[in-house]
Amino acid sequence: MKKKVIVACGGAVATSTVAANKVVELCQKNGVDVSICQVRISEIESNLPADLIVTTSKVRRDFGVPLITGMPFVSGVGVAKTEAAILKVLRD
Amino acid sequence: MIWEELKESLILTDVEADTSDDVMKQVGSKIIEGGYAKDSFVEALINREKDFPTGLDIDGFGVAIPHTDVSHVNSSATAIAILDKPVTFVQMGSDDDYVDAKVVFMLAVDDPKGHLEQLQRIITIIQDKNVLTELTTATEPKQIIEVIKEKENTL
Repeated sequence: MKKKVIVACGGAVATSTVAANKVVELCQKNGVDVSICQVRISEIESNLPADLIVTTSKVRRDFGVPLITGMPFVSGVGVAKTEAAILKVLRD
Repeated sequence: MIWEELKESLILTDVEADTSDDVMKQVGSKIIEGGYAKDSFVEALINREKDFPTGLDIDGFGVAIPHTDVSHVNSSATAIAILDKPVTFVQMGSDDDYVDAKVVFMLAVDDPKGHLEQLQRIITIIQDKNVLTELTTATEPKQIIEVIKEKENTL
């Protein structure tokens, strides 16, 4: 089944563009069928439901959906761990 | 390649600033002067930085990548500033973690998806602590471009 991932940052300008592409590459490599929805933080709610939210900004709200920080895709630190966490959510 | 698109007029090797707002004004005004962004660009950068900070701690090296909504941008450009002394930025993804940035990559982005490759390259460049350290030793724009060219040749 196709999984929907919302990738969000402050303005859907730079970091979420990069993070969204990383998620797509990761899923392709691992045979996970995924559709990406790249939005601003303020637009997350109106794009639910989703299987996973990846964000490069701080989000305090609980959307009832697993939320993983995509910061490692920007800083380069901890990428493998983040990729594993994303795959775990999408494969469940 | 990023280095081919860098403009010497947008590379500042000796910026004296006390605050992140100050950095936005000094570097952002160069982008506006070059015609790459509208007059609203600096204020938009400052406001966005408050809500969505762009400081990054790259293995102990502070860098910031301020950017703002496409509506303030005329055409895509990247400005690079080496700060005389580190300036405190809030870290991306937090609101109370700070990082002292020595290098700033200011992005004027007009079409994020259309510039995915450039954005990825810039992110890859700033993830390299050695490159960042080398940038801080540069005294003129040509050297900055050269450091980035060398890095891109290895990608």
